[in-house]
Amino acid sequence: MLEVQTISASYGSVRALEAVSLQVDAGGIVCLLGANGAGKSTTLNCISGVVPSARGRIRCDGRDITGWAIERIVALGIVQVPEGRELFPALSVEENLVLGTWLHRRQRNHGPEFERVYEYFPRLKERRKQAAGFLSGGEQQMLMIGRALMARPKYLLLDEPSLGLSPLLVQQLFEIIARMHRDGIAILLVEQNAKVALSVSEYGYILENGEVRLHGRAKALSEDPEVHAAYLGA
Amino acid sequence: MLISLLQAIASGVVTGCAYALVALSLVMIYKSTDVINFGGGEMVMIGGYLAMFALLAIGLPYAGAFVFAAVVAFMVGAAFDRVVLDRMLGRALPGQSVLVAMVIATVGLSYVLKGLVRVVPYTEEVRRLAPLFAGDPVFLGPIILQRQDIAIVVIAVLLMRAWWAFFNFTLLGKALRATSQNPRAAALIGIPVRAMRMTIWGIAAIFAAMAGILLGPKLLMTPDMGSVVILAFAAAIVGGFHNLPGCILGGVVLGVVQNLVGLYISSRAIVLTPFVVIMLVLVLRPQGLFGGAVVTKKV
Repeated sequence: MLEVQTISASYGSVRALEAVSLQVDAGGIVCLLGANGAGKSTTLNCISGVVPSARGRIRCDGRDITGWAIERIVALGIVQVPEGRELFPALSVEENLVLGTWLHRRQRNHGPEFERVYEYFPRLKERRKQAAGFLSGGEQQMLMIGRALMARPKYLLLDEPSLGLSPLLVQQLFEIIARMHRDGIAILLVEQNAKVALSVSEYGYILENGEVRLHGRAKALSEDPEVHAAYLGA
Repeated sequence: MLISLLQAIASGVVTGCAYALVALSLVMIYKSTDVINFGGGEMVMIGGYLAMFALLAIGLPYAGAFVFAAVVAFMVGAAFDRVVLDRMLGRALPGQSVLVAMVIATVGLSYVLKGLVRVVPYTEEVRRLAPLFAGDPVFLGPIILQRQDIAIVVIAVLLMRAWWAFFNFTLLGKALRATSQNPRAAALIGIPVRAMRMTIWGIAAIFAAMAGILLGPKLLMTPDMGSVVILAFAAAIVGGFHNLPGCILGGVVLGVVQNLVGLYISSRAIVLTPFVVIMLVLVLRPQGLFGGAVVTKKV
């Protein structure tokens, strides 16, 4: 279980998070919703160790990981797929993927990991020799998720995976996210697209101005009139 | 006339290979950390002195001197990053750029290295590094080359081949490239970005030091021999400064142009060559002779 307990964080004098708590069960799928600037990405970055949290604790499977270095957190199985197109553009698809195995590099055979990624994303296999910078937006998103899978995540943190993708691609991507969850990977999903995020999630949190405004089962949230008005549109 | 032209070109290629090694060192650091290393010349200089120390004081054979210089140079480069640059980055506030301060720190590095070499008693007299292979010069048709010249070309080419294979075929090499292309993404899959940056500084220092050993027998060994770095800067600018194969060619171009200037204009104009080349390239073709369009640097 991944537990975030009342963490606060700020950028200089700007408060980004105030006493945020949330929890993702092993094998669970949870979404974190909210408007731009609500603190969703900051929450993920605190968990990943990119941004230090000023107060509060972060625990993973009983261990206190607050203040750990990023690579130790990744080694524990908490892997973030950042927002945007954060690839190694001049390296090939295959090279981008193989770098995901960095922390397990002593084990020579990464065949099973490659197979798993190519099974989720057959498109990547077709383009494996191509430089990542030449991929389409959807393929780049797949490659970022694939690269994270190579690091053997127990908890996969996805930051706005639907950003900039066509509705059809978003639908396909979320089918794969649901499949990864069925295959046993716990997922913490940050999204502005609340509708599609709630449709695959078991539980949801809604952030507003750096605080948790509401939380509950995904089904209950999607039926909540307040959530409906603010995030799901008419 | 033709013969002296061919001779000038051939010896230009020889020195150009050594400049290319230094240019690679500069560009490697620039590409992965955005820092322009003004201490690069002094890394060349300590390479020469380390080899001389290994040969004369420790009594190692030449191969041992290369290894000794490489190991110590790596440690100097990596230590500079860890002790100075890493701390500067660590103390910067989010969003604040310390790049200018880091570049100035490399100027500091150059003075520290020069000063250190001056206080070592061993360096008081001006010496020349023994050539790698003594013996009669070699005739290639009408061109005369010293055995040292051939050694310079062969070793420089081997080093570049090794460097290329390392960055393309090993996981560590790929991780180093990944870190320079996108440090944030590299960190998020567990690549230790700080250790990678240190490694790049170490490898870059090795390349500069190797050039120092190769040039040592051709130049006089003095604590000021690092001024040869201006030729490497010119080579890197000719190559486009982010284009690694380009800066190797740039090194060779510089070596040849320097000799042609000596042959056709005046031997006193040789020292001006790199400055004129830098100015001409920056004015006429700022992306370098081998680059494509002007690349706007990432912020």
